[in-house]
Amino acid sequence: MSTSTSRPFSTTPSLLARKLPTPSSSSAKPARRNRAAPKSENFNRIRTLRRNMFSPAPPPLRMARQRYLRHWTIHRAWMLFRRKQHEAIEKERSRMHAGMFNACEELRKTVGPGSRGEGYLYRVAMEKKGIYGLEGVPIEYARFQTDTPAKEAWNHDWKR
Amino acid sequence: MAASSRGSRAVRGILSSSTLCSRCATTYSARLAISSRFYSAATTTTTTTTTEASAVAASTPLPTAETSTKTPYPYDIRSGLILTRPPLLTRTLHPFENAFFFYQKRLEERLNTPFITSIYFKPDTAAQLDWSIKVQERGGTVAKELGTYHGKSSRAWDDELRVGDPLSARETVLESLLKDAAPRVSDDAEVIAPEDVVPVERPAERVSEADRKGDVRRLDRQMERTLYLVVKGADGWGFPADVLQDENLHEAAKRVLDQAAGVNMNTWLVGRVPVAHLVQEPVFGADGTVQKRGRKTFFLKGRIMAGQADLKGNPFGYTDFKWLTREELEKELAPEYFKGVRNMMADR
Repeated sequence: MSTSTSRPFSTTPSLLARKLPTPSSSSAKPARRNRAAPKSENFNRIRTLRRNMFSPAPPPLRMARQRYLRHWTIHRAWMLFRRKQHEAIEKERSRMHAGMFNACEELRKTVGPGSRGEGYLYRVAMEKKGIYGLEGVPIEYARFQTDTPAKEAWNHDWKR
Repeated sequence: MAASSRGSRAVRGILSSSTLCSRCATTYSARLAISSRFYSAATTTTTTTTTEASAVAASTPLPTAETSTKTPYPYDIRSGLILTRPPLLTRTLHPFENAFFFYQKRLEERLNTPFITSIYFKPDTAAQLDWSIKVQERGGTVAKELGTYHGKSSRAWDDELRVGDPLSARETVLESLLKDAAPRVSDDAEVIAPEDVVPVERPAERVSEADRKGDVRRLDRQMERTLYLVVKGADGWGFPADVLQDENLHEAAKRVLDQAAGVNMNTWLVGRVPVAHLVQEPVFGADGTVQKRGRKTFFLKGRIMAGQADLKGNPFGYTDFKWLTREELEKELAPEYFKGVRNMMADR
């Protein structure tokens, strides 16, 4: 314990007990701690990911003047196309809504059936009974549109 | 924050007018025999029977039972059902859309990080061998449907297709995807000879057999359009409809469909609200009597999900049925009939 020096102003016992590295121990090669650590089963996978995950991002697109003008034209044409599509959809929806509105207005002015008064059918049509809930929409109606039809495109022989 | 009373003020002006009933907002009550009278009406009738009958009758605007029985409602109310088959297929894309998507994909090839094979394929496996064969055949392009194009090479600027190049068409994309899907290496990592490669099953055609034959009774025709069921009756082609028999619109529509086209259809009435209506005005004589009763037909919307119509033994005398698109309906239906139902039909 001749090489150990204690700090005179420190009263902490752990610090007092600490040894400073001796010149002889610093010259020796330190033991490699991770030699004993076993490789994980995902070692190869992780190595691949770490090699490739941090690849630099590709440079941004650079276009010359004519090429950029073409790009801009394509972009504008696409925006125009989308705009026309949206307007067509909006028009279609308002047309269908107007059709329903006019039919309901006519129904509201209708008397009957039998001894029922004016607007009876309209009030019944406006009822929302049985619309919501589990039985509201049949599950068969939840079929998606597809790019290509099924092998049997339509079941003509469906029987109740 | 209190709600504005502007709405009620606006409505008050309408309701206080003499033609509208302030309770139920109906207009017809002045001419109709109402079973439920207001308390004031009962006193009116009692005073009429007593002393000053003529004076009271002149002063009260309420109709007597005698005048209301003279004018029954001159319309027959009919309820019909427009049974539609929703489109089964997505819409065909516009060629401009195809070209634009192709252009965007090639730009994406220029902008993405390179595809690293070792992340996705273990070395020396059948999958890796399969992949490398397919990529070699494509000239080293990773993407399956973009032709031979390298987004990172010195010719990356050459990403535009020439006019008329079929590479962006749907058929070409489908072919290249199918070609890529066929396995080129067997399970034990042996390369299959090109003549032994088993192609994957092609998806079914978008144009069906019924389209080619022009069969308008089948439901697998025109699969990217909405189809409407029309029946041929005494008045020509039209949607099935019948007079209401003391029932509501949706009950009548369901009954009409079951009676006219059979029960072997899996259908769903979308709502109780009518989507279209047709009005035929009544014909009055010189003295105000009804010569010919008018017709009000309200159509509800239904969807069919399976099954087929069957007109056998229907009580309405329908002889034939067709499943038609909107353009075909325009040719079949009478112009004023089509004009009445036109608004409920979707563009597609």
